Amino acid sequence: MKSARVFQLTALALVVVSAVQVGWWLFDQRAYTLDKVSAANAAYAAQTAAAQALLDSGTAAARVQQLLPQIVVDGGHATLAPAVEQALRTEEHRRNNQYAWEGGFFLLALGVCIAVIARALRAEARVLEEQDSFLALVSHQFKTPLASLQLSLETMALRAPAPAAARTLIERMLADLSRMEAMVTQILESVRLDRGRVDLRAEALELRSAVGRVVTQLEERARAEGIAITNTIESGLYVLSDPLALDVVVRNVLENALSAVARAGGGDIGLSARAGVGEVELSVQDSGVGFEPAAGARLFEKFSRLGAAAPTGDGSGHYGTGLGLYIVRRLMQLAHGRVAAHSDGAGKGASFVLAWPAAQEPKS
Amino acid sequence: MSASAERARQVLVVEDDPHLSAGVRENLRAEGYEVSAASDGEQALQWLHEHECALIVLDVMLPGIDGFGVCRALREQGNNTPVLFLTARGDPADRVRGLEAGGDDYLAKPFHLQEFLLRVRAILRRWDWYRNASATAATAVLRFGGNEVDFRAFRARSWNGETQELTEKEAMILKVLAEHLGEIVSREDLLERVWGYDVFPSTRTVDNFILRLRKRFEQDPANPQHFLTVWGVGYRFLIEAQP
Repeated sequence: MKSARVFQLTALALVVVSAVQVGWWLFDQRAYTLDKVSAANAAYAAQTAAAQALLDSGTAAARVQQLLPQIVVDGGHATLAPAVEQALRTEEHRRNNQYAWEGGFFLLALGVCIAVIARALRAEARVLEEQDSFLALVSHQFKTPLASLQLSLETMALRAPAPAAARTLIERMLADLSRMEAMVTQILESVRLDRGRVDLRAEALELRSAVGRVVTQLEERARAEGIAITNTIESGLYVLSDPLALDVVVRNVLENALSAVARAGGGDIGLSARAGVGEVELSVQDSGVGFEPAAGARLFEKFSRLGAAAPTGDGSGHYGTGLGLYIVRRLMQLAHGRVAAHSDGAGKGASFVLAWPAAQEPKS
Repeated sequence: MSASAERARQVLVVEDDPHLSAGVRENLRAEGYEVSAASDGEQALQWLHEHECALIVLDVMLPGIDGFGVCRALREQGNNTPVLFLTARGDPADRVRGLEAGGDDYLAKPFHLQEFLLRVRAILRRWDWYRNASATAATAVLRFGGNEVDFRAFRARSWNGETQELTEKEAMILKVLAEHLGEIVSREDLLERVWGYDVFPSTRTVDNFILRLRKRFEQDPANPQHFLTVWGVGYRFLIEAQP
């Protein structure tokens, strides 16, 4: 990476120097032409003066024209032949044109090169900045579960806790470990999505049953946290998506809603769907902690603080990694769908809308 | 147990990560502290509006108002409760930011339990010393050069009649200097007594606080008569202006 940057910077410096050189060449050639024209004009003026002197001294006009062919004698006056004057102007114009076109072309080509290299350098700087920021965020996200893990282990070492307390600490450590494992999985998943290393199918999927499968898997957790999930999606709504991607998207949105409702001390999550123009919309509404309306777009950014939902109890909670909703957005983009989040404010619940391209019921 | 004694053992833990919060609370309880918890900045400010405590263990990255914001808000309200910051960001610039926001100490995650407990004890010990050293009517007020400092109220009236609100660090430095009237107190001693050694990256911080005290209490801060620099060593405090 470093050698490539050195190469780019060297190339940029060479191109800039070349552009300056071409600019100088243009200026120099223009000055040279002006010099030459000026010298020719002076020479012709001297010839005209000499011809006039010869005429004044009584030399015949024919003899003067024979000696100085560029001079025209008319009525005893010597002047420069118009054709010669015209030829000089034409030559001056031709050279100026030649320099302008050649120099202009080279300057344009070099300018394009400078723009291309500068753009590449800026893009590379942006990538480096994003990588730095990503690493900083990743390490920051890992430090909290790591701190919790270390604290639990050191507590066990320092205090030799009773079996019940030790069990709580072990459960807490296992939860911290699974949280870090989930983070690693999601980080790898987000990198794969960013680099386009996913091969998604487009199948017609019945939304009610696809969402129902995820709801069934999360019902036990919901019950334990005092959350009621109501699924009112009608049968017969088909969407075009990869089955696994749809499962991941719905699971992440539902887990986010579960965490938000759990933080509010329990409540409801409602799922509904409707057919729109060329698409099918799934709406997930929760009575959770919500967020400020302006923060809706930031939810889908990597490591959004709002997305990092916290668990509700000691030792058994479910954590957000800050990547779940980012993955949702990427998968929805790849499915040619869309996702949006809305809340009327903190403490006022939230709604997520997921829209996939509509599909026909498969004939089988 | 009296209310002030209860307060002296009361710690508020402000941490949005429940596991970490639970771990910190359990260990503080095991050490004999009374512990309360808040999971965000607003909850913490609300709790502190209604209760008093001896120490706040404050996470920096909190939802809503962050830890620095909570600390600044407390200081603006005149609440001088000591704050120990816990944060995933531990570089020197962040430490300085935290201490400038009015924090007393700063611990980067992940941290060692023993170190955490030592720091908690050290902060409380410093405050116990300060409270005890300002407990009587004679030690609660310091008068010098027309200035009058009330250590218990963290307030002073300077020689020109202006009322000065002192930060807890300014008051503590003044207390240490007043306890060693006329003696040389090194920068390192001031750091250890007021902050603890490893909190600040350099002893220059002490110099900045002395400058602030001079601006508050010296008639001509450029030619101090009470807060004297002993070059290369530290400072000497005099009640009577130097002739």
